[in-house]
Amino acid sequence: MTPTSEKVVEKKFMFEFPTLTTDDKHQFEVPIHIPFSGNIRELAQRLITLFKVPVYIEKDLEEKLKSFVDKETLLFHDTVAEDALKKAQNGEIDAEEVIKKFERLFKEETAEYADPRGSTDEELFATVYHKLVHSPALEGMLQVEHSYSIAVNEMTTQRDDELASLTERQAKEMSDLVAGIGEFSTEADVNLLAARHCEDQNMIQAKINSQIDSLQETQRREYRDWLMKLLEEQAEEASSVTPPTPSPTHIVRHLSNDVSSKDKGKGGSDISSDVGNNPGLEESFTIHLGSQMKQMHNIRIMSADVLHLCKTHLSSKGGMDMQPQRLQTALALYSNDLCGLVLLTDGLISSFSGTTKDFISVCQQSTEFHFPSIDDQLEKIREGVKETAAWRQEHWIAENLSISSQQWRRASSSGALRSGDVYVTRHSNLNEVHVVFHMVIDDSLRSSEINSRHPAILGLRNVLKTACSNDITTLTVPLLLAHHITEEMTVAWCAKRAELVLKCVKGFMIEMASWGGSELKNLQFVVPEGISDEVFVSLAAMLPSVFRVSNPLVFKASSTPITPKTS
Amino acid sequence: MSKASTMQKPSMEPRFAGITFFATSHVGDVCGTNGLPLTPNSITIYGRSQILRTFSHPNLCAYLDIIRGKHERTMIVLEYYALSLSSAQCSISEQGIVKLCQQTLQALAYINTFGVVHRCLAPDNILFDSKGNVKLFNYGLYYMTGQGGDVSFPIGNPRYTAPEVFLVDSQTVSGPKVDVWSLGIILAELALGVGQLWPELKLAQLMRKVLSLIHCNSDTSVLSRIAREHSCWTKYESLPKSLVALINSCLQLKPSDRPTPEELLKHPAFLEHDIANLEIHPFERVEGVRGKEHALSSLPLQELFYLWRLAGGDVQAELKKQGLIRTMPTILSVPRLVLLEGNILGKRRDQTSLLDLKIIPLSLDTLALRLSNVPVSAYYPLIETRSEIIQDDDECDAANLPLIIRERDTEYQFRRIVLFRRLLEGYPYTRSAIIREARRDIPPLYRGAVWAALLEVEGDIDAHFIETDKETPTHTDRQIEVDIPRCHQYDELLSSREGHRKFKRVLKAWVETNPQYVYWQGLDSLCAPFIYLNFNNEAKAFACLSAFIPKYLHRFFLKDNSAVIREYLAKFTHIIAFHDPDLSNHLQEIGFIPDLFAIPWFLTMFSHVFPLPKILHLWDQLLLGDASFPLYVGLAILQQHRDALLSSGFNECILLFSDLPEVDIERCLSDSVSLYCCTPRSTTYRQHERVVVKTPSQKNRPHHPDLEMSAQTVAELQAESCPRISGADLLDLLDAVKFPRPKVLVIDVRGPELYNIGSAPGSINIPHTRFDWTAEIPQLPSCPEANTLLQNRGKILVVAGQGDSPQAAQVAQVLLRSGLPRVCILHRGIDVLQLGNLLTKPSST
Repeated sequence: MTPTSEKVVEKKFMFEFPTLTTDDKHQFEVPIHIPFSGNIRELAQRLITLFKVPVYIEKDLEEKLKSFVDKETLLFHDTVAEDALKKAQNGEIDAEEVIKKFERLFKEETAEYADPRGSTDEELFATVYHKLVHSPALEGMLQVEHSYSIAVNEMTTQRDDELASLTERQAKEMSDLVAGIGEFSTEADVNLLAARHCEDQNMIQAKINSQIDSLQETQRREYRDWLMKLLEEQAEEASSVTPPTPSPTHIVRHLSNDVSSKDKGKGGSDISSDVGNNPGLEESFTIHLGSQMKQMHNIRIMSADVLHLCKTHLSSKGGMDMQPQRLQTALALYSNDLCGLVLLTDGLISSFSGTTKDFISVCQQSTEFHFPSIDDQLEKIREGVKETAAWRQEHWIAENLSISSQQWRRASSSGALRSGDVYVTRHSNLNEVHVVFHMVIDDSLRSSEINSRHPAILGLRNVLKTACSNDITTLTVPLLLAHHITEEMTVAWCAKRAELVLKCVKGFMIEMASWGGSELKNLQFVVPEGISDEVFVSLAAMLPSVFRVSNPLVFKASSTPITPKTS
Repeated sequence: MSKASTMQKPSMEPRFAGITFFATSHVGDVCGTNGLPLTPNSITIYGRSQILRTFSHPNLCAYLDIIRGKHERTMIVLEYYALSLSSAQCSISEQGIVKLCQQTLQALAYINTFGVVHRCLAPDNILFDSKGNVKLFNYGLYYMTGQGGDVSFPIGNPRYTAPEVFLVDSQTVSGPKVDVWSLGIILAELALGVGQLWPELKLAQLMRKVLSLIHCNSDTSVLSRIAREHSCWTKYESLPKSLVALINSCLQLKPSDRPTPEELLKHPAFLEHDIANLEIHPFERVEGVRGKEHALSSLPLQELFYLWRLAGGDVQAELKKQGLIRTMPTILSVPRLVLLEGNILGKRRDQTSLLDLKIIPLSLDTLALRLSNVPVSAYYPLIETRSEIIQDDDECDAANLPLIIRERDTEYQFRRIVLFRRLLEGYPYTRSAIIREARRDIPPLYRGAVWAALLEVEGDIDAHFIETDKETPTHTDRQIEVDIPRCHQYDELLSSREGHRKFKRVLKAWVETNPQYVYWQGLDSLCAPFIYLNFNNEAKAFACLSAFIPKYLHRFFLKDNSAVIREYLAKFTHIIAFHDPDLSNHLQEIGFIPDLFAIPWFLTMFSHVFPLPKILHLWDQLLLGDASFPLYVGLAILQQHRDALLSSGFNECILLFSDLPEVDIERCLSDSVSLYCCTPRSTTYRQHERVVVKTPSQKNRPHHPDLEMSAQTVAELQAESCPRISGADLLDLLDAVKFPRPKVLVIDVRGPELYNIGSAPGSINIPHTRFDWTAEIPQLPSCPEANTLLQNRGKILVVAGQGDSPQAAQVAQVLLRSGLPRVCILHRGIDVLQLGNLLTKPSST
């Protein structure tokens, strides 16, 4: 496409009128932009004032001006169009190219020409699930889900137990062997044994993992089939009382019965340990934002482990007492009120550590019935990251963010994400969360000197924007941009960080009001577990003071007259 | 007769329909040239499309509403007819084709005068009304989307699109001639009787075909080539020459050879064929034989649609119900990656966001059912005469409910709308009736016009506005440009680009026409309600603003307005003291004076402190009152927060009022009206108030000038804690005929010797000397008169002294301090009563 330099042209308008007393003619000339965007009658009036011409020419001038503008506008359109036609006729414009462009446009943008596309499997299942979950079948469904996750949980516990006992056994074997070095064993034997141990470990792990995988696969299939059947039945006999298809739970129960006893008392990994429901300290506020038209939001601050929001807390004894949050999460899964969580992570998405690693194991604790498993989702993201690296390479010159070039090169060469980037995963099996924003951060966040242009803050803005355009109406944000207490977090550090985050988030929320998306109804700030009560109280006190809206019009003291802003 | 129509089954053909599309959403972090975030495209579209609602032409479907949904969705409601050229199955006679062409051209020529080009003219956009007349549909799409710039989809049906549209680059704006080509193709289809040209071609082939037409050489016309390709040469040969000529002029390849719609209307074919009384369609009109038209059909469409919405009509829900709006659960389309730069990767394109221009008729059955009990007479209320035969119909049930509910009640609004429409048609003759009805309430649909009537806007306001220069840069431009993007921006209209443009033009016009004044911050807020209500009529918004300011804010916009504002605030302090001594004393004590919080209230007549819906209700009432009414509104607002204020110190009060807390506007207004009614007019006298030339009828009571109020300096006003009352007002209150139970008590503070010579009727004497003025806080002396005074609590207490001596003011302050309400000072003292020989000897009791 050639850029149009002739989008606006300037034409000279000449006007002549006789004087009444002499034979002379007055005339004046004005440049007018074509296409003309103003009002011709207004322009005429301005010309009369500007050139101090008598008002009796008003009608005359208006008419002339109008016909001039009309004529020139038509000429303008005609010239552009004829120019293009001529180019097409002599082959300067490739008609095929044009056709291809428009064909793509029509196919991509209009329902009439788009390739017909049925509902995907995902959409179909979404409809089925949403319908059922809002029907009397809800309770049964949740129970099935619950017992399924118990089964998976038991298996992972079993895996961990087995691995633990194997490690113990191997350690003993090894120490025995090492003790006997020189007597009845050689170093080569040790190496051999070590290699065998390693192999054994891997084998057991692989074996049980594949069992878990196949269990989850079975569960997923069973569950989806069961739901489909359930829906059919509901449709057939809307109000009849024939017993519905038995839930597949009995199979699960059977499967898991023998393991459950072992589970007791061991606590298993820290994931399955019962954390308890109370997330420690918590305080809520209702705030109004906006200067005249006020929007209401709920704001909560709490001290908790972020993963607490993700873990479903199983009681292995029975499926009856699942948490009410699960119910809420299930009901809202396909609605326009999603829950999101910001989880901080490092830029590497090939190997995971820290909170992200724990998070992944939380996800694997039960079967994901709706979305691809966490591993598959991360795999897709890895592909996206490659694309990103390529894109960034291209836009290197246009780069204007305050990031040192070294840092940038390091990040882009490794194909990793950089601070402020966010990758997003979707979940149906977590406790209070549907969407997790994994925001990449780096060590610069430890400093107390970060400002509102820090990538993490900008990343937060992107998260809020994404939440707004994707119907995520409940969002949890780590207030200190950290998940754990570290030594540099002094009281002053916490206060400074919290103030920055709160003020920025407030600004983003006001900004969001004009984005035309969904309102953020609930905003939760989470601070690391174990924060001292005093610090928590002071942070909680900050909330109402930051979110208190102040009227932008300044009131002036009576003694001085208010000076106009005109000079 | 009315019985018969009410018995009829309430069912009506749909009269309007909805369509929808998505605007492109901005990606990344882009800012506008003013450094503020970009306005969402849907808002730009919303603002731009408002003008379409004013289009009125017999061959156009009227635009009724534009609605913004979530996530950049735009929904449009248009007048609708079930029959379109693409759905009509019968063939049209050659003369019918000529007439169709003529009517379409008339419609196009009309929209062209507004700079609007259809761009997607096609058979499904040509509808027919019940008389078979052409009604163009969806002609504003290209215009409202900024010539396609705000949307991602291409505008136009490829079959009917002029070849040059494909060839020019995407930023080039199409001129009016592209529609003439589209019309030419439609005419060719009709004339050759082929139904649709190139019916079997796929999209790409179709466009290739259209583009191949540019290689037609000058001796073969496009039409003949089409005829040959569709093997209907014989049909072509048989066509009347004039029709062929008409189509050929439409299908001229070179735009310079192709006429504009206006030029083409002069084509001889239209003279040759006698088509004036011809019906385009021979089709049987099923709906015509349905019998009597429903009474609702007599309403203007705009009113019908307004009532439809009140009766629960929800365009979005309706489009959803009929399958046009489908939504994929959001969780299925969340993106995978959001980069720091704002790029979004891995977001699945929601198939439901593609352009689908299906037309969804909106059923009127619910509304018809809702209004089925309304007698026909209600459609034609008598406003000038009373009839013995047609009884004044029983009031609507909602009449006594709160305003908020009345505004949402379909039947009540129906009656109000019909009444006000008729009254407004008679304006200015019906002005007094409009005022009378407006005291009850103002129907939101006609609020703009009613306000203009209340502000006595009349005459050639358009010409005046056009004459005013709004373009030449001035030194206030910068401040105006800074203020506009901060003025009521939560509102879609006012935050749109078009809204900003209108703001600027009206404000500049006001500054231009009021050289004695300057632009003060706050003028933008004053302007907002008028622009909001008269969005499509800048001249009226300007005329209203120009009438509003002298009435309520006379001299407030002087370059040095401190005297005016301080006088106003002093009066406000007086009014608080007059009605609420406890609050007044408390505020005085902690030093929370009106200067600290009330300037924006009065400078913007509350339009800066409230959101638009509240301002509208507030001003509904304000416009009915005089220049002093805002003082009472201010007082009513304070009184709503009375408890909080009384229990707070200075800092808490500042905090409380730095962002005005919720105010119940309806209560606030009824409070202010009752406060207004029980306050003597002269207590709010201001020297800077505009002097209204009294009409002779009001002048029935000529008074000596000393009996009227006269100017006091600000320092004098501030020195006195209580307002002054004029002699005339006191005489009026003393009128025993008018008020058999006295409403007023005069406290004469002169010495007893003077008092006994002559005093106001019924007055008591507490000489100034009786007070202990050495005390830190002087108290009311204990005497029988003081008891009388306390017993008369609630009456207007007029403290009168000798002339303008400060004694009266001092005594008044003591009364105020002791918590007595309604204390005022007699202006110019007791002497003025002597003028009318009104002093009586106090009866010795």
